[in-house]
Amino acid sequence: MTADAATPTALDGITVLDLTAHIAGPYATKLLADLGARVIKVERPGGDPIRGFGPWLGDEPGIERSGSHQFLNTNKESIVLDLKSAGGREVLERLLPRADVVVTSYPPAVAERLGLMPDAVREAADVNVLSLTNFGWNGPYRDYALSETVLYAMGGEMYSHGSIGREPLKMGGTASLVQCGAMAAIGALGAVYATEVHGITQRVDVSLFDVQLNSVDRRSSAIMAYRFCGRVNAPPAVAGPSTGAGVVGVFPCADGYVEMTASAGPYWQRFAEMIDRPDFQEPKWSDPAWVRSPEAREEVDIALYPWLAERTRAEVWEAAREAHAILAPLFTATDLYEDPVFRERGLWTEVEHETLGRFPMLGRPYTLSETPWAIRRAAPLLGQDTDAILDEAGYDAAAIAELRRTEAVA
Amino acid sequence: MSAYLPLEGVRVCDFACVWAGQTATMYLADLGADCIKVENPYVWNPATRAAAPVLPAAAAAMIPPWMGGHPDGDPGPRPWNNSPAFIHVIRNKRSFTVDSRRPEGLAIVKSLIAVSDVLAENLARGTLEKLGLDDDAIRAVRPDIVILHLPAYGRTGAYVEGRGYGAHIDGVAGSTILRGYRDSAPETNVQTFAGDFFVGMHGGLAMLAALRHRRRTGQGQTIELAQAECSASMFPQAALDAAWNGRSSGSIGNRSTEGFAPNGVFAARGEDRWLALSCRSDAEWQALVDFLGRPAWATAPGLETAEGRRAAEDAIEAELAAFVAARDRDELFRDLQNAGVTAGPVLSAKDATEDPHAIQSPTWKRLDATEDYPATEFPAPSFKFSRSDVTLRTPPALLGEHNEYVYRELLGISDEEHATLEAGGHITTTYADEILGR
Repeated sequence: MTADAATPTALDGITVLDLTAHIAGPYATKLLADLGARVIKVERPGGDPIRGFGPWLGDEPGIERSGSHQFLNTNKESIVLDLKSAGGREVLERLLPRADVVVTSYPPAVAERLGLMPDAVREAADVNVLSLTNFGWNGPYRDYALSETVLYAMGGEMYSHGSIGREPLKMGGTASLVQCGAMAAIGALGAVYATEVHGITQRVDVSLFDVQLNSVDRRSSAIMAYRFCGRVNAPPAVAGPSTGAGVVGVFPCADGYVEMTASAGPYWQRFAEMIDRPDFQEPKWSDPAWVRSPEAREEVDIALYPWLAERTRAEVWEAAREAHAILAPLFTATDLYEDPVFRERGLWTEVEHETLGRFPMLGRPYTLSETPWAIRRAAPLLGQDTDAILDEAGYDAAAIAELRRTEAVA
Repeated sequence: MSAYLPLEGVRVCDFACVWAGQTATMYLADLGADCIKVENPYVWNPATRAAAPVLPAAAAAMIPPWMGGHPDGDPGPRPWNNSPAFIHVIRNKRSFTVDSRRPEGLAIVKSLIAVSDVLAENLARGTLEKLGLDDDAIRAVRPDIVILHLPAYGRTGAYVEGRGYGAHIDGVAGSTILRGYRDSAPETNVQTFAGDFFVGMHGGLAMLAALRHRRRTGQGQTIELAQAECSASMFPQAALDAAWNGRSSGSIGNRSTEGFAPNGVFAARGEDRWLALSCRSDAEWQALVDFLGRPAWATAPGLETAEGRRAAEDAIEAELAAFVAARDRDELFRDLQNAGVTAGPVLSAKDATEDPHAIQSPTWKRLDATEDYPATEFPAPSFKFSRSDVTLRTPPALLGEHNEYVYRELLGISDEEHATLEAGGHITTTYADEILGR
């Protein structure tokens, strides 16, 4: 949704100086920007490399047309600073004290080279500093690199994601990196909250490896299980859906797939109701010996597969909702974009871009009744706000011209 | 000395269940909120404290480790206090029991709401309403409260009655169709729950934002977080490619959404040892070529650019597979990283606990044994604050562990009332006989 300037936002008055790049850091600051914080995105000359990643608006590449950039940098301002230049550094030093929290994603070695280790930033200004790093600031992997795939391999539960004997699988997209950004956002806002309550500033460190080890998708649980009993979470012995002792997994239907869980008890009862087989509610279907037998499995298969084959995902899901069965369709991104129910609810929004016009944008992760989530501004053009931010920081026109001439800013 | 906890003095009335809800409130508890789990000993909430209230060792052994791997393989008499899936997301919280379906129990819940700043819930649709606790009723007790609802598909629209756990919600969010081998149908996909903690993080953040607004204005509000909608944010590239270009992405196996090439997972020497590898830039590719000793296949013209490498990806992957297969996973990982190539071992749960980097990081914290689990390492919060005491401060709350705190200290009930409620089965540290099948 769009909102005018008078609509209150939850993070009114908070300023974030965003020195991050790529995906995880910018997602963290996007969440804050979309909740109303002022986020000043400091870009290197040439821009955040994320501008070089698609998908492209109308399949036409360009640093402003990048879908990754457009999604990750909504509601932010952009200033281009060359932090290796004296002029760029001076600007940064003027901006630091104006922020409530500074967010960085420099690898430790780069932060050292730039003199932007969290403690150094905090010496320059009494400000909160949130750092995102691959592996933290110490330890044997400190300077190692990560990609989405390597992050999920090491930190996440890739090991059990796949079929036995084949290579383990990554998740779709860049989900692991986005997840780390969400975790970091809590850290940033937590620090600002502590400032507002206790009057202190501090550093908050978030390691992507650590986030993955301790959260998403069964990983923390798999590690707990190993500590508790020595069992290692592994790929299932048999790949594919199961119809013995409950119906669990991904099944084909007329126009795609559905995922369902109809294990014992009420879930099984609702499943029987969904496919209109009251006989499946008879007592023998609660007998573990019977439900594990090949005969039982055959009966289920004969009933289930044709029932699914005659129905579309929409029809199957409707029947499931009526029976409160645990089932959902597998949507493609196109399904999600075109789905009338999510449209009506407002999952998709449109942004007005200065040079590209209007285009659709994936909308809010949540709604807040009094301080609405809103895209108030599309992702910034590269350096769109450089002059305004410099002006605010006390540079006059001549000084700005000099900074531009020396390419300290752009 | 102050612990400088950001949410010091904030109380959460916590009706959250499963992972999405319980992690949302966990993040507030990590930040110092007094997070009180409201637990009904007469109702078994699925997938919230364990797979089942009665779980013999033989049954637990048939459940995958992440859900069935209780201490020593035997959940014992209280599976709800030692589930590998859930016990660790109850850290820094308190637990009290009450049967909120009975009038005297509901009165207790309302008196807790009256002294709470947040109410969080993701119970099956209609559960709170049936108790007489719709938003208006909650606000009647505490007008400025922040309410978090985490419905699967929203509280409005045609999907309101949709039921699902993380795996099903992931399906609608577009996660499941994007993963799997390039040569196999989604039917063989492992059930995953990518959105659960992701939703929890967003729920935590949204509550924090709403609390900040409330602190400044005195105004509470209602947050609705539809889990499928939130989870869609994990896949913005696919979403925008569909919206902008009409393209529907499917699984690309282990290849890169970002166009990195090569990008994959390869078998290393030995049994079940895998190495993930990405060349995130042309420079990383050149570093890999040098590392390989500049073989002819790798220096062939055209491979200098990602575009050229993508065109030859099958051949490159075959060469890399042969190279990795002859080498030790961990040595190769270190050597490649030191040579400037992004690579890493696929760490099993066991590997993770032994990883030399993870071991020395503040990732886990050892907790003392209880009657229900042995002394071992538990996950600590992943945001490390330098001054606020944001860490694993108190162990996971066992069922009813804080009944005395809630009933006596917080709500100040009399000895007489306490005795009545205890006799009525409200105050307990176990589930009711009917739940335990006795």
